[in-house]
Amino acid sequence: MPIIKINHVNKSYVSKDGENVHALSNINLEIRDKEFVCIVGPSGCGKSTLLEIVAGLQPATAGTVTLDDKPVTGPSRDIGVVFQDAALFPWRTVRRNILFGMEIAGIPKKEQEERLETYLELMNLKEFADKYPFQLSGGMRQRAGIARTLIMNPKVTLMDEPFSAVDHLTRCALQEELIRLHREEQKTVLFVTHDINEAVYLADRIILLTPRPGMIQEEYVVRTPHPRRRSDDYLVNMAARISADIGRGTEKDAKPEYFI
Amino acid sequence: MKVPERSKKKAGKENGITVIQVLQILTVVGILGYMQYTVTTGKISKVFLAAPTSILEEGVNLAKSGELWPHLFLTLQEVLTGYFLAVVTGVAVGVLWTLFPKTEEYLNVFCSAVMAVPKTAILPLLILWFGIGFHSKVVLIFLSAVFQILYNTVTGAKQCDANYLKVARVFEASRAQTVFRVIISAALPSMFNGFRLAAATALTGVVFSEMQVARAGLGYLLSQAQIMLDTPRMFFIIILVTLISVGLVKLVRVMEYALCHRWRRV
Repeated sequence: MPIIKINHVNKSYVSKDGENVHALSNINLEIRDKEFVCIVGPSGCGKSTLLEIVAGLQPATAGTVTLDDKPVTGPSRDIGVVFQDAALFPWRTVRRNILFGMEIAGIPKKEQEERLETYLELMNLKEFADKYPFQLSGGMRQRAGIARTLIMNPKVTLMDEPFSAVDHLTRCALQEELIRLHREEQKTVLFVTHDINEAVYLADRIILLTPRPGMIQEEYVVRTPHPRRRSDDYLVNMAARISADIGRGTEKDAKPEYFI
Repeated sequence: MKVPERSKKKAGKENGITVIQVLQILTVVGILGYMQYTVTTGKISKVFLAAPTSILEEGVNLAKSGELWPHLFLTLQEVLTGYFLAVVTGVAVGVLWTLFPKTEEYLNVFCSAVMAVPKTAILPLLILWFGIGFHSKVVLIFLSAVFQILYNTVTGAKQCDANYLKVARVFEASRAQTVFRVIISAALPSMFNGFRLAAATALTGVVFSEMQVARAGLGYLLSQAQIMLDTPRMFFIIILVTLISVGLVKLVRVMEYALCHRWRRV
């Protein structure tokens, strides 16, 4: 049963330089319950814009997004978002950052504490609970960012290049944790990344977007069960195929106005 | 690489005095010595300069005779009252503007206009309206401080990181929740900038106005000393006023430290 339906979504906006930007063109996508979908594509192809439209942070110029057949018209607690650089509040401790959403929702203090303990445990943040973001490594900050989102128990989690700002080893560790979480919690995840290896390692399905205006160029289903090996031939080959396809997409649709 | 460098510097400081610091102390001692020597030997007239010993003596006498205290307390009272009112009003209006942008659209032009008026120029009017005593001084300090605080608050609120606002939106925070839980916290550093600027200039206004028209206060004492050509007393009051001004700024810093040091280096 599809949980998110993206129907004929188009997005254009006027950039700061006054130029008319056509960011997304006729995106149609269905994401099923408990599915892990990655969106990849060259920089500036509108991946993050698409994610913000699904999150209700930006309106689509045309088309609709529905969650369980209800149109998405603005942010909602059913849709959690993890931001690129975690976007923690520097003036709050890890504990209070994670509690932010529940404070806003007015969840009783006792329940807040119980859920907090669970997620501090789950994300290995126990000993960092009373630290401020500036005292943490990038990986720890992103763990706290993920905990802040998951603790609200959203139906869908959207992640906008969440591991792009951390070093390679930390990124691998975070990917493994994310897979563990996804298997334990059975959440639907829409994950934007420009790292093809990351997408291949994580996703059940990968959507490749063309350069601007972003259209769905190709769809890949990754059938390898978790836990996956990064050196798995099938995954390595698939990553190579996607890399090759990114180039091909540009050539096929090359139009004079997109010369760099 | 960075860490040992830093600890070296720290260690240097802890170990004692550097050459530069020795030179600085020598310079100050030299200036004081020069003042003492030229005035006591009559090379420079007592009207133009005062010997450090006589400045100190004057201060002790003023304090002992009790003449100083009413003036000092009055000035402090004026400064603190005006400053406190300015902080409360500036922050309150800043929050109002952030909560309801229409109010900013309406009020901004008036506030900018009043801010542009040199406050010392309206002193004659303030004296007409509020008398030559306590109230006109408080209003003067209030007017010179409130806009700095207001505009720093509003600027800080506007510079709030777009990502923080997105987080608030994702969690469906109301406008009030966003303002009170996110924007004001994000604006705190800028607000304290305003508090510091206002604190640094608050004393200027009050001393100036007391020198113009008043029957008490440190500014009044200063202008009386000038009329009597009592140079040591003038020096003493100038030093005292400076110390109060520095103390006020320090007080703001202490408050900022108490509020912010845990999450950012102040």
